[in-house]
Amino acid sequence: MDLTGASSTRSDVSSEADPTSFLGQRPLAAATSRATRYVASMKGNLIGFKLRPSLRTKLLMAFLLFEVLLVSVGVIGLLALREADQRAHQVVALQHKIEAYRQMQHDTLRQLYGVSTALEFPDETTLAIALRQINQFGYDLDRVSFVAKDEVALLNQVREEYARFIAVVSHIVDLVRNGRTAEAKQSERSELGPLADKLERLTNQLVNRAEADMVAGIDVSKQTYSKSQLLVAAVALASLVLTLVLGHAISRSVINPVGVIHHGLNRLAAGDFSQRIEVPNHDELGQLAAHVNSTAEELQQLYRSLEEASRHKSQFLANMSHELRTPLNAILGFSELMLDGIYGKPSEKMRSALERIQRNGRHLLGLINDVLDLSKIEAGQLQLSLADYSVEELVNGLYISVESLAAEKNLGLKIVVPPGLPPARGDERRLAQALFNLVGNAIKFTDAGEVRIEVEAKENSLKFSVQDTGPGIDEADQAKIFQEFQQVDNSITKAKGGAGLGLAIVKRIVEMHGGRIWIESRLGHGATFSFLVPARLEQQAMQT
Amino acid sequence: MSKRVLVVEDQEDNRQILRDLLANVGYEMIEAQNGEEALIAAKTQRPDLILMDIQLPILDGYEATRRIKAQADLRHIPIIVVTSYALSGDEEKARAAGCDAYVAKPYSARKLLETINQYLT
Repeated sequence: MDLTGASSTRSDVSSEADPTSFLGQRPLAAATSRATRYVASMKGNLIGFKLRPSLRTKLLMAFLLFEVLLVSVGVIGLLALREADQRAHQVVALQHKIEAYRQMQHDTLRQLYGVSTALEFPDETTLAIALRQINQFGYDLDRVSFVAKDEVALLNQVREEYARFIAVVSHIVDLVRNGRTAEAKQSERSELGPLADKLERLTNQLVNRAEADMVAGIDVSKQTYSKSQLLVAAVALASLVLTLVLGHAISRSVINPVGVIHHGLNRLAAGDFSQRIEVPNHDELGQLAAHVNSTAEELQQLYRSLEEASRHKSQFLANMSHELRTPLNAILGFSELMLDGIYGKPSEKMRSALERIQRNGRHLLGLINDVLDLSKIEAGQLQLSLADYSVEELVNGLYISVESLAAEKNLGLKIVVPPGLPPARGDERRLAQALFNLVGNAIKFTDAGEVRIEVEAKENSLKFSVQDTGPGIDEADQAKIFQEFQQVDNSITKAKGGAGLGLAIVKRIVEMHGGRIWIESRLGHGATFSFLVPARLEQQAMQT
Repeated sequence: MSKRVLVVEDQEDNRQILRDLLANVGYEMIEAQNGEEALIAAKTQRPDLILMDIQLPILDGYEATRRIKAQADLRHIPIIVVTSYALSGDEEKARAAGCDAYVAKPYSARKLLETINQYLT
């Protein structure tokens, strides 16, 4: 079963976009564990639908709660209004009642007055007035009984007393009509007077009670008002607190995880694949964090496998170049012995052929050594051997090994080293190799003019420069040339050949010294390669 | 009596080069193909000089050098260590093992002979 097939089957199951499947080489185990995780998260979703509210549900619930608060404040207000309305009605009713009672007292007084007048001036007119007063009182009493349904006992008493009062009045009127005025006056004094007093007392009682009721009603109304005020204030305060708490809780459950995820993504972007985000949320943000984590895990696995592949490649190159060099050593060794005449003096033709074997063999050896150097550096197997060295000797040694190359092309070779430099510290052999590569390139690509090697002592560091009068390097190509197997792609480099490893090695050596390398060049105006290394390196720089 | 050089080298072609080189200048060559053989040959044959390769089967050149130099009766024999293309600390390791000199592969036969002659004349 091919892996590409496997990954497409998997994407059918998960239907998620799989950013790594394009590589087509992810281990099957990882795919399986991913599928298991997916199923697990599906289960979590099914269970979590009730127990673990999504962000949407949380927000909806919060808004719903606010709505409920608003409605309840409204309801409380309406209830308070209704109660106030009822109280007002009660007070008005009580006022009516008091009015009616007062009317009744007034009626009684007028009745008494009517009767007294009839007794003083007994004629039909005054008698009719006295009788009409009876009707008026009855009418008022009905009004009272209609208004006041409580205080029934008192009212009934009033009614009874009044019935007696009417009877007495009727009796007196009858006596007056029959001319028995003395009897009538007697009856007025002994019966009507006390009855009127009693009626007045009773109605006064009623008025007092009604007034007390009214005062009590107003009191209750006042209390209700202040209670409603308190209630509304309390609800408002509670809703304010609730809003703050809810707002805080929601922003905590949203902003914090977003911040954490943001931070995590930043670290991922910076290449830290080992970190995992912790977001306790069970909502969309929790899912997002889990997704970031699984992505980080996959990146980490990918990174590890890439690192391993790179290590294997470097190891393979190291082994391979060693294997290549062994037979090459024999070729070089035997051809040298033949050139030295150990097997008999070679003919001139044979000598020329042997020299070609030697030259090509050494070139091949150089290339193999470059590959080995680079792979060892990349595999982290190259350690600098740090020791004191003389800059002057280093440059002079270099001069000796390259002067014949420059002379062959009729190029000037100039060296500028400030006198009296103190001993430097570093890997002399590696620095010489770096400088040799730069000078070798300069001579190789320069057809006329000179190559200049210059050393400058800076504060705590040394600057080595190699300047040539060659074709120069286009700005666009300058960034590429320090990468392995990269050469400026033009007719000049094609004519000169080379594997494009030299500058990559120089760069690595300089960086291992904790230094940096750069180029200044313009097309057609030559090139200057410079590198800066610490004058005294006590510890190898970390490899990046 | 001609000088006797013990060559410790596992590659036949390299041994042949040294055979031809040393025979040409009249030195006698004793051969060993690994560190263990080198120890035995040093003890039994008492060479005047040892040319020791580093990458050897069974017992490598460093260890063989260390053991020879640890023996009082063999300590005086000069040992020239032939390092492979040295990148990291081969020289230091060779020095630490107690060798008298080292040459790095690929060596020029002429230069190797110069080094050998320094110890045999």
